Amino acid sequence: MIYREGGQIKTSYAADQQLFPINQDRWFVYGFIIFLFVIPPLFATEYHYEVILYPILSLGLAALGLNILTGYCGLISLGTGGFMAIGAYSAFKITTAFPDLNIFIVFILAGLISALFGILIGLPSLRIKGFYLAVTTLAAHFFVEWAINRIDWLSNYSPSHTIGGPPRDMFGITVMGPEANPAAKYIIMLIVVVALGFVAKNLVRGRVGRSWMAIRDMDIAAELIGIKPLQTKLLAFAISSFYIGVSGALYVLMYLESVDPEAFEILTTSFPVLFMIIIGGLGSIMGAFMGAAFIVLIPVLLRNLFPALGIDIASHVIQHIEFMLFGGLIVFFLIVEPNGLARLWQIVKEKLRLWPFPH
Amino acid sequence: MNDLMSQDATVEQTIVGRPDHTAEILLSVDNVTLNFGGVKALQDVSFDIRRGEIRAIIGPNGAGKSSMLNVINGFYHPSEGTITYKGEARSDMRPAVVARSGIARTFQNIALFSGMSTLDNIMTGRNTMMNRNFLWQVLHLGPAKEEELAHRARAEDVIDFLEIQAIRKVPVGRLPYGLQKRVELGRALAAEPELLLLDEPMAGMNTEEKEDMCRFILDVNDEFGTTIALIEHDMSVVMDISDRVVVLDYGVKIADGTPDEVRSNQNVIDAYLGVSHD
Amino acid sequence: MDFLYNVSVDPILQIVEDPVFFIQVIAEGLMAGVMYSLVALGFCLIYKASGVFNFAQGIFIVFAVMCMITVFEYGVPIIPAVIIAFLAMVALSWAIERIVLRNMVNQEEIIMFMATIGLSFFLEGFGQTIFGGDSKLVPVEALHLGRDALIVPMFGSSIRLQELDLTAGVIAALLVGILALFFQKTPVGRALRAVADDHQAALSVGIPLQWMWVVVWSVAGLVALVAGIMWGASSSVDFSLVVIALKALPVLILGGFTSVPGVIVGGLIIGVGEKIAEIYWGDALGGSIEEWFAYVLALVFLMFRPQGLFGEKIIERV
Repeated sequence: MIYREGGQIKTSYAADQQLFPINQDRWFVYGFIIFLFVIPPLFATEYHYEVILYPILSLGLAALGLNILTGYCGLISLGTGGFMAIGAYSAFKITTAFPDLNIFIVFILAGLISALFGILIGLPSLRIKGFYLAVTTLAAHFFVEWAINRIDWLSNYSPSHTIGGPPRDMFGITVMGPEANPAAKYIIMLIVVVALGFVAKNLVRGRVGRSWMAIRDMDIAAELIGIKPLQTKLLAFAISSFYIGVSGALYVLMYLESVDPEAFEILTTSFPVLFMIIIGGLGSIMGAFMGAAFIVLIPVLLRNLFPALGIDIASHVIQHIEFMLFGGLIVFFLIVEPNGLARLWQIVKEKLRLWPFPH
Repeated sequence: MNDLMSQDATVEQTIVGRPDHTAEILLSVDNVTLNFGGVKALQDVSFDIRRGEIRAIIGPNGAGKSSMLNVINGFYHPSEGTITYKGEARSDMRPAVVARSGIARTFQNIALFSGMSTLDNIMTGRNTMMNRNFLWQVLHLGPAKEEELAHRARAEDVIDFLEIQAIRKVPVGRLPYGLQKRVELGRALAAEPELLLLDEPMAGMNTEEKEDMCRFILDVNDEFGTTIALIEHDMSVVMDISDRVVVLDYGVKIADGTPDEVRSNQNVIDAYLGVSHD
Repeated sequence: MDFLYNVSVDPILQIVEDPVFFIQVIAEGLMAGVMYSLVALGFCLIYKASGVFNFAQGIFIVFAVMCMITVFEYGVPIIPAVIIAFLAMVALSWAIERIVLRNMVNQEEIIMFMATIGLSFFLEGFGQTIFGGDSKLVPVEALHLGRDALIVPMFGSSIRLQELDLTAGVIAALLVGILALFFQKTPVGRALRAVADDHQAALSVGIPLQWMWVVVWSVAGLVALVAGIMWGASSSVDFSLVVIALKALPVLILGGFTSVPGVIVGGLIIGVGEKIAEIYWGDALGGSIEEWFAYVLALVFLMFRPQGLFGEKIIERV
């Protein structure tokens, strides 16, 4: 009885094509966003920020970027870590070279640089498909990993090639660096994520999104009805890399605060982000964040669960359990619900429409 | 008396099988040869399609009919010969360019975008006409939104025409075969083509579905003046709705004319009955 | 200018000045290449016979050899230890078929690839739980694998080859020969190729899909065991070896995913190419170009010959 569309009749195409055509959806999403802006700054502790909110926001954005490329446009990429690195190192160089530049601008510029590289990597995609394309992205990833370890200029000649977020202010509040106000950092990240999420949703429901999905589903037919494959794919690479680049900047400058090149290793970046979009649901904006939340929270839960139950387990054993759990869940989701958590959520909503009636 | 009778004759002529020799030639296939490695899919085939007509391409299996459509589409490039469309000769054009010049098609084995709904599939047919640049798309405001709504209206017209309103939000992968074929036709129509290429649009359909499809094809030709080139195996359909027919066999053209002329052509009869060639 | 010189002229000079060293480099490259081939062979088999790119092959290698070493350390003599390890891989294949593959008949390649990534992570956690995370040593003496170096005199100087590498080469050649024959000449081999082409079609002509898969994955398990022993014999074995799986991709691309001889050729090319690039061009470019060279080489190959040297050309029809 709660979730009813009865009486919500759309009388124009504009109404039908809204972001959230069902009123309850709209209230829920806007309500949730308001909640996100208001509640954590009032109640969250540093632990909540560091362990839950920062990772979910930054990695969720990366997952969103990858979902655009892989979920909507069907182009598999294992190079997420490389693009996060490009975004992070670009942001670092830009803000250290121009300390007075507003950090939002820094993030956008870092994203643009990442997008340029993305286009470069995407060029072979006209001739190369499927896993072969994945190998191209691997080449990119390994090359970037090698470069950030070798090119001293990138890390401003730090001996260990470390980069981090230098102290930066906005409106008098320290928003980056060791002295930064955690709530302020959180708000900044949230603004970026919500804005980019909104943009993604708009892109995906219009001409651009349809051409991506057409290429994904049947690229030959898409070309035959007039969709230009190279431009569509390059746009997907560009946008995706932009998002992933910005996420890398957030990941390093805001969340981790200081990293060396090891942070971008393929097994700790590219693969987990891929898992996020598989579990969350390929081709779903919301799914990217659901998947990110899932992957970030499970280790946290595990680490707190065992002590809470009084069981004493070494941390490396917990890590092994994490691996098994993730691996198992990936296989489970791919068999049972390839459309991930997002689809499960939709099914829940459909059931809610009927509740309390069974059908 | 004589006047009346000749009048009647004229009326009959305009309803069925009315090759209009005064209409301009929309597409002309000139000495097209298509080779795949050692296989000659098409050999020195020439015919034309006049504006406003329904042209059937028939022939036994493997005759090269789909290959012919693929050549017209730009998907295959002929090894020899040219295609002349609206006065411009070309032998080497990318399919996307061809699509934008007013040619749309359907496929033998449905090529719909299975992850998208019926409405979205039909909207992709209008993609070539959507030009609002990327930045507007980002905000989905103003010009992008207007454009989207305008095209949505046209897509809905197509949906009404094909009577598929009930399934507009259903992902096409879940639709039964007959409906998928109809949606595919919708996607092609949404592009408002001047030349519509249909590759076995009635394959796998029962009698009622075929009748519906025939009605749609005739309506499209009648109401919008769309020229249609149609590959079809069902002879009764071909005889009923087409103005002129081309017959291919083993990649070679063996007959070209009105349905009646073709039906009584000995070469055609031999080809279908499997008389061995020398 | 210096850089240009270092990249173009200098390497050629170096090669010409010390040809014996160049041959040494090539020899080492070939040896490394054989190792890559052994790893890639497992991938090729599974892809050829079930149409799945099994990312977990890397973990199979570690798993198989860890199993053998652990059993051996418990006092079991070497030959039974090897057999037990093989049986463990068969059991693993059976489990994978039952739990994963059976439920994913006719899914797209991409989905299956991602499932094998999941599988790989799962096995990594599982393996570390059972075998512990420490690195282990392969009992080379028990396996009668010589670790000596052979000095081969050549052109006045000499080159140095590892006996271990030569053994690996011989074993790889044998394996490849047997497998190539198997796929081409036997009915089972033909059935496996049918399965790779189209699962549903194969089922509908009565090919016992499930059993076939267990066979193939077990054979891949055997190849993994051999690869693990050979690889581990030259250094040690631990779970970081999993990343080796990624190196197999360039090999398969060069050779063609479905060609067993292609895997060997591809492996050798990558091995030699990497070594030569590193030794002669590495310093000019900053060192350690092995990290990406193979992938870039594969990429270049893909642009010109997407199906690899021996692979099947993919024709797309509408």
